[in-house]
Amino acid sequence: MTAVPTPSTCAEGHCITCSDEGIEMEVVATAGHVAHCLDPDGAAAEVDVALVDAVAPGDTVLVHAGVAIAKLEAIA
Amino acid sequence: MRFVDEFRDGELGRAVAAQILGAVDPGRHHKVMEVCGGHTHSIYKYGIDDLLPANVELVHGPGCPVCVIPMGRVDDAIDVAHRPGVLFTCFGDMLRVPGSRGTLLDAKAAGADVRIVYSPLDALRLARENPDREVVFLAIGFETTAPSTALTLSRAKAEGLTNFTCLCNHVTIVPPLRALLDSPDLRLDGFIGPGHVATVVGARPFEFIAAGYRRPVVIAGFEPLDLLQAVLMILRQLGEGRCTVENQYTRVVPHEGNVKALEIMAEVFELRPHFEWRGLGFISQSALRLSNAYADLDAEIRFEVPGVRVADPKACQCGEVLKGVIKPWECKVFGTACTPEHAIGTCMVSPEGACAAYYNYGRFAREREVV
Repeated sequence: MTAVPTPSTCAEGHCITCSDEGIEMEVVATAGHVAHCLDPDGAAAEVDVALVDAVAPGDTVLVHAGVAIAKLEAIA
Repeated sequence: MRFVDEFRDGELGRAVAAQILGAVDPGRHHKVMEVCGGHTHSIYKYGIDDLLPANVELVHGPGCPVCVIPMGRVDDAIDVAHRPGVLFTCFGDMLRVPGSRGTLLDAKAAGADVRIVYSPLDALRLARENPDREVVFLAIGFETTAPSTALTLSRAKAEGLTNFTCLCNHVTIVPPLRALLDSPDLRLDGFIGPGHVATVVGARPFEFIAAGYRRPVVIAGFEPLDLLQAVLMILRQLGEGRCTVENQYTRVVPHEGNVKALEIMAEVFELRPHFEWRGLGFISQSALRLSNAYADLDAEIRFEVPGVRVADPKACQCGEVLKGVIKPWECKVFGTACTPEHAIGTCMVSPEGACAAYYNYGRFAREREVV
């Protein structure tokens, strides 16, 4: 699973991988259980989406340690 | 970005802060614990403390997975990393966590092949690419991280990889919360629930806090407006004499959690009878180990991990910080002997730790207050 930012450069001194915090990413394309996503800073990441319902380009997923753990619902 | 920008709106933030001022009982001092280390970080980063009335105090909880790892587990990891042929992988924060004889970074400097990964799936890829090496992944984290480890292990088992194992240190959030609530020196009025743990486990596991201990719980997101709204919801519950579990983070957290993630965790993991938490001692059924079906992928079994127990450093007051009994700056060694560059305690090592978050963001504001 390749992701940006790289593991050694925690954004703003905050290592979301090690903490129990996910990050919202927008799905750009899908291929099997892998989704190509963009994080809030526009950086690209490959995300495993096996643990959430089917995603499509334009969806937002919550990603933690390279794996999507939730698909975000539109705010009413 | 959608779901992010709208929750960082300064004007809305000030409006919610004004509502908090209207909701708070001026005659009472309210102590609210944010359970999650990610919340602690956001509170300091966005200055949420400064927007709250003086009689609403945020207390930092035990929800930093790096901070609660005891020294003995770090020693075990270093022991495995030094075994011949081992390619040892872990998340970045774990590299600088001190064991009794140094850190994983020291082990790397001494010749061990220790590498940072962003995801356990990266460690699995390394195992595929290095069939002549024993690739070990050091798993840490609460229920937010456990699904990615479980997914990785199920893939390794399905592929029949024989050179991949996991040194499992996953912990669960409910038992330490129960231990905290039973602690005689703790006085809390409500809890900001961990939003991303709840994404996986749902809201139900937190109901015992409201039903059994009569404390409000509001599951919250990590943006500044999420946290302000969570504080407002807790104050409203207190004002109305209610104690329930409310979900502020409805855009992410379903009431029942992530069923697929829970299923794969149930297949791969089982509860340990006991697990030692730094500063909190042994807590029953508070951590995960690999189930019998995954014993072949368990590094503790393959490498016969010694399982040494090491006492915390005497000067370190991480336990009291983790329980919210003292603030980071009240620790004897905070900012002097213990800094992010030369940490004694884990709360200073991890950016999620209350001490590091306060050191990086909060200490200047306090210095202004003191002057």
